Amino acid sequence: MLHRVRKTGSRLAAYVLGGVAALAVITPGQAQEFEGVSIDVMTFTGPQIAEPLQRRAPDFAALNGAEVNVITVPFSDLYTKLLTDWATGTNSVDAAVFAPQWMVDYVGPGFLQDITDWVAADEALQVDDIAPFFREFSQQYGGRTYLVTLDGDFQMVYYRTDVLAELGLEPPETWADYVAIAAAAHGNDLNGDGSADYGSCIAKKRNAQSYWMITSIAAGYLQSQGTSQGAFFDTDDMTPLVDNPAFEAALDVYLETTQFAPPDETNLDVGDTRALFTTGRCALTLDWGDIGTLAIDPETSQVIDKVGAVMLPGSRQVLDRDSGEMVECDSEICPHAVNGVNRAPFAAFGGWSGGINAAADDQVKRAAYAFFSYMSQPAQSNHDVTVGITGFNPYRISQFETLDNWLAAGMSETAADSYLGAIKDSLNSPNMVLDLRIPRNQAYQQVVLDTAIARLLAGEIDKAQAMQAIAAGWSELNEEEGTDAQLAFYRASIGAD
Amino acid sequence: MRQHQSFAEWIDRAAGQIMIWPAVLILLAFSIFPLLVSAYLTVTRFRLAPGGFELRYVGWLNFKKLLFGSQQYHLLGTFSALTATDWLIFALAAGTAAWLFVGAVRSGTVGTVGLIGRLIAAAVLLALLLLALAVTGDGAFPGTLVVTVFYVLAGVSVQFLLGLGLALLCAQRILGRSVFRVVFFIPLTVTPVGIAYLFRMLADVGKGPLTPLLAAFGLGEVSWAADPWSARLVVLIGDTWQWTPFLFLILLAAVENQPRDQVEAARLDGAGDWQVFRDVTWPAIAPVAATVVLIRLIEAFKIIDLPNILTNGGPGIATESLTLHAFIAWRTQDLGGSAAVGYTLLAVAVVCCVSFFHFVVRRARAHERP
Amino acid sequence: MTDHRAGLWRRLTEPKSLDRMAPLPALLTYAALIAWSVVVLFPLYWLLITSFKLPVQVNDGPDYLPFLDFQPSLHAWEYLFVTVGSDTLRPYVNSLVVALASTVLATLIGSLAAYALVRVRYRVKLGAVLAFLLILAGVVVGVLRFGIDWRVALAAGTALMLLVLLTLAPRLRTAVGNEDIQFWIISNRILPPVVVVLPIYMMFQRLGLLDTHVALIATYTAVNLPIVVWLMRDFFASIPVDLEESAQLDGASRFGIVFTIVLPLARAGLAATFLLVLILAWNEYLLALFLSTADAQTMPLLVAAQNATRGPQWWTMSALILIMIAPVIALTALLQRAIARGLIVGAVKG
Repeated sequence: MLHRVRKTGSRLAAYVLGGVAALAVITPGQAQEFEGVSIDVMTFTGPQIAEPLQRRAPDFAALNGAEVNVITVPFSDLYTKLLTDWATGTNSVDAAVFAPQWMVDYVGPGFLQDITDWVAADEALQVDDIAPFFREFSQQYGGRTYLVTLDGDFQMVYYRTDVLAELGLEPPETWADYVAIAAAAHGNDLNGDGSADYGSCIAKKRNAQSYWMITSIAAGYLQSQGTSQGAFFDTDDMTPLVDNPAFEAALDVYLETTQFAPPDETNLDVGDTRALFTTGRCALTLDWGDIGTLAIDPETSQVIDKVGAVMLPGSRQVLDRDSGEMVECDSEICPHAVNGVNRAPFAAFGGWSGGINAAADDQVKRAAYAFFSYMSQPAQSNHDVTVGITGFNPYRISQFETLDNWLAAGMSETAADSYLGAIKDSLNSPNMVLDLRIPRNQAYQQVVLDTAIARLLAGEIDKAQAMQAIAAGWSELNEEEGTDAQLAFYRASIGAD
Repeated sequence: MRQHQSFAEWIDRAAGQIMIWPAVLILLAFSIFPLLVSAYLTVTRFRLAPGGFELRYVGWLNFKKLLFGSQQYHLLGTFSALTATDWLIFALAAGTAAWLFVGAVRSGTVGTVGLIGRLIAAAVLLALLLLALAVTGDGAFPGTLVVTVFYVLAGVSVQFLLGLGLALLCAQRILGRSVFRVVFFIPLTVTPVGIAYLFRMLADVGKGPLTPLLAAFGLGEVSWAADPWSARLVVLIGDTWQWTPFLFLILLAAVENQPRDQVEAARLDGAGDWQVFRDVTWPAIAPVAATVVLIRLIEAFKIIDLPNILTNGGPGIATESLTLHAFIAWRTQDLGGSAAVGYTLLAVAVVCCVSFFHFVVRRARAHERP
Repeated sequence: MTDHRAGLWRRLTEPKSLDRMAPLPALLTYAALIAWSVVVLFPLYWLLITSFKLPVQVNDGPDYLPFLDFQPSLHAWEYLFVTVGSDTLRPYVNSLVVALASTVLATLIGSLAAYALVRVRYRVKLGAVLAFLLILAGVVVGVLRFGIDWRVALAAGTALMLLVLLTLAPRLRTAVGNEDIQFWIISNRILPPVVVVLPIYMMFQRLGLLDTHVALIATYTAVNLPIVVWLMRDFFASIPVDLEESAQLDGASRFGIVFTIVLPLARAGLAATFLLVLILAWNEYLLALFLSTADAQTMPLLVAAQNATRGPQWWTMSALILIMIAPVIALTALLQRAIARGLIVGAVKG
C-alpha cells in the first residue's frame, strides 16, 4: 500500500494543484473564509476512507484556513459512537463520514444538518455528475439532501475470466447460471498450486455482512418495477416481503452455493472471501466494488487481469405482488428486463458519505460542508476512486466515462472495461434496490434477518421456519416502532410517494 | 504540637474507617448508580427523539420477550420433550438438593436468611439443570444462557486443573524456573481482542498454520466453524489459553507460600507426593484457590471477545454468550433488551457465585491461620 | 534380572536426596513444561512472522519460516511507525499513563481496604443499606422517569439519607459484617460492562471529562478495585498477626504498621496483584471505546480497529499486539524477581 501511495505521489500532486486551481477560480476572494475554524470529523480507523480525508486535510486548510481533525474509531463501533455522541448531546463530533443507511436514525431526531440549499448553490460540487441513484436516493431523505456522497457502494458479481474461458461458459445472467458456473468450477485447481479450489466464495459469517448477500440474491426475484417498488416491505401495508416463493428461491440459491464453497464459508467475512478470491482460490464471488482495485494491486493479488465483473444476476421469474406467486417475466411485470431476465442491483450499505451535525456552530457547519464538497469534487474524487487504499469506489458519471485514471492506476483496458461496465450498468439501472432505511434498520437486518439466515445455514431451523422467523421478527419491530410511522419512513426513503 | 498529636491520634483511631471508605465510595459511584440506571432501562424502550433520546416505560415487556416471546429461542433455547433419562437425572439432582436442605434445617445451625438463600440457590440451579436438559437432544438448541453456563463450567474447571498442575510443576526445584514462569504468564498479557483475532488466524481452515496437520488427519475439508460443538470447543481452547496463566500465577504464589517446614516434616515421615499434596499443600492453598476460582468464575460469565470475533456467535447462535447477546442488542438500539439480558446474567451469576462463596470459599477459609 | 530391573526403576523414580528430583519425574516434568511452553509460544511466533508478511503471503499461506518459506517485509511496521506514526504513538502513551496511574491507585486503595477487612470488624446496619438503596433508586427514577432536575433529586436524596441515619438507623439491629462487604465488593464485577457503560458515559459527560485520562483512570481504578481487595485479602490473611501485635505494643500506629510491616511482607502478593491489575487496565476495550474519542484513545481500540471494511489487517494487527505485550512481559520479568525475593524474605522471617 505504501508503494502505491509513493508511486502515485507525483500524479497526486498534479491533481491537488488542479483542484486548488479549480476552486480558486470558482470562489475568488474567499481563500481564507474559515480562518481559525476547526472541524472534528469522525470516521473509522482506516486506512480506507480515513486516509484520503487525512491526506487532503492540509490542502483544504491551505485553501481556506479551516483545520480538519480526522477522529477515527474502530469500524465495528462507529455507529454506536456517533449515536452516543449526538443523542446524549455531547456533540464533540462536528461531522462524520458514515454509511447513508444510518441517516434515517439521525434525520428523525434532527441530528443531521439539512444541506439542500448549500448543495444547490455549490457549483464546484458538480452535483449532476454524481450518478442519479446516489444523487436522488442515497444523499437524500424525504426529498431533502443531508449527505455528500464520497463513495459508491453496491454489490456486483466477480468472476475469473480465465476460468470461465476454460470452461466455455459465459458470465452469469441469472442466479441459476451462477450456481451452474460454481458447480462446474468447483474442485478444479484455479490457481495452479495443485490443490482443489472453490466454485463460489460468499461471505456468510453471522453478525458480519452476510445479510447484504442474501438481499443481493433476493433482489432480482423480489423487485421488478423500479426502485420505488421496494424489496423489503409492501409499500401499502408494511407486510414483510420474505415469506413468499421469491425469497424462498433466493434462499435455495444461497444454500446451493454453499455446496460449491470453502468448507468454512459460514465463518467467512468479506475480508476472508476477498483474500480467497484475490489469491485465486474462487471462481466467483459476490462483493462490493473493492475487488476491482484489490485485484490489480500486486501486494494483494494473484489474479491481476483475470477478473471480470457483472451487474448482479437476476431471474426470469419474479414475484407477482398481487397474487404472491412467481410469474414469468413479460414487458408488463418486468419492464426493465434484458433478455427476459429481471436484474436488480442492490446498493448494499450505500457508500460512505459525509454528514454534518446540526448542533455544531454555523461557521463549523459551513466549513465541514466545504470540506465534504472539496473531497467529492471531480478533481479530488476522480483520482481517489482509482486508488485501492482510499476505499472509495466510483460514483460519478465522469469516473466511468474516462478510462485514463484507471489505466494509470494499473488496470488493463479489458479489466477496466468490464469493471466500469458493470458499475455503469448497475448505476444506470432504474431497478436498483435501495438498502433498508427505516429507523432501527440494524435491528431488522443485523439481528432478525441475519440471525434467521445464520440459523438456517447451521441447520437449527428449516427454510420455511427461517422465512416465518424473519417475517414475524420484522412485523414485531414494525409494531414496536409503530407500523404507520415505519411505513411512512419506508415510502419516503424509496421515493414511493 | 499538641494539635498535631491529637490529629495523629484521631487518624489512628479512625484508621479502620479511613482505610475502607475510599474503596467503598469509589465503588458506590461507579457501580450502584449505573446498576440502578440499567435496572430502570430493563423496563423501558429506548427511542431516538428530537434533541436526543427518550425512555418509554414498557413494564416487563423486555423480559417477557426474552423468556416467553420472540427471543425465547435466543436466550433460553429451542426445547425438545424431556426423555426418561432427563427426568431421572433431574429427579436425582432434586432429591440431592432436598436431602441437603433437610440436613441444613435439622442441623439447626442455619438461620432463616440462610435457609431462604439455600432455597433460592437450589431453585435457580435446578431450573438451570432442567433448562440444560430441555435444550439438548434431537431438534433442540441451547440458547445463550445454557451456552454461557457451559463455557463457565467447562472453562473454569479445565483452567483450574491446568493452572494448578503447572503451578505444582513449576514450584519444584527445576532449572529455568523463572523462564517458565514468565513464559507461562504471557498469554494473559495479550489484549483479549487480540487473542480472539490470533485464534481466528490460527484456526483458519485455509491459511492457518494447522492446515497441513489437519489435512494429515483427513480433516482438511472439514470446518470446525460449521459444527456447534467444535465451534464451542475452539472458543474454549482460546479461553483456556488466555486464562490459565491467571490461575497459574496466583496458585503458584500460594504453593510457594505453603509452610516449608511442614512439607519437609511430612517428607521425612516418608510421605509420598500425593500425601504431601493432600495433607499439606492443598489445605494451605485452599483459601487462595477458592478465591481465585471465584474471581475467574465472575469473569468467565462475561465471556464475549472470543465468540464475538472467532465466530460472531455462529454457527446459528451456537457459540453466542449472554454478554455477546446483550452487546448485539445494545448495538442495535435495543437498550432495554440488552439491559434485560444483562440482568438475567447478573441474577444467574450472583446465585452461582454466592453459592460458591458460601459452600466453597468460606469452608476453605475455615483452615486459615488466625 | 528382576532385581536389576527393580533397582533401575528405583533409581529412576526415587530422588537421591530430599532436595533433588528423581530422573523420571524430572523428565516428565520437563516434558510437560516444555509442551505447555510450545502451546504458549507458538501462537506468539505466528504473530511475529505474520507481522513481517505481505498480505498476499498471509492470504496464500500457511508459510512458516521467514527467508525459506517467504521473504519477510517490513511493510506493516513501516506503516505503523512511519506512515501513521503519531496515530500509533499517541494511544501507546495514553495506555501507559492510564494503566499505570489506575493500577497504582487501585492497588493502594484496594490494599488498604483489603487489610481493613482482614483486621477490623465492621458492622453496617442492614436497614441503613436498604434505605440508601431505596433512596438512590428513588433519585434515579425521579430523574429518568419524571424528569426532575438531577441536582434537586440528588440534594433531596442526600437530605433524606441523613434523616434516616440520624433517626432510624440507631434503632435497627440486623447488621452486615465483613464477609458481606467483601462479597458486595466482588459482586461489582459481575454485571457485564456493556450494561453499565452508558450511565458511566453520562456521568463523565456531566462532569465534562469525556475523552480525558482522568475519566479512564477513575473508571479503571473502580472496576479493578474488587480484584485487588480480593487477592490482597488472602495474602494479608496469611501474615501472622503476632508481628503486628508486637509492633502495636511498641506504640506503632495502624498506618505505620501497614506501611512498614504488612505491605513489605505481602510484597509477593502485591507484585502479583499489581501485575494482574495493570494487565486488565492495559487491555480493557469497551469502557475505553466510550470514554475516549480522540485524545485519550488507548491501544486495544487500535488493535480492534485493524478489522475494518477490508477485513482484518493481520500484519498490522500482529505488529500492534506484539508492541502491546512487550512492556508487560518486561515488567513481568522484572517483578518476577521481586516476587521471588519477597518469598525468600518471607520464608526467612516466617
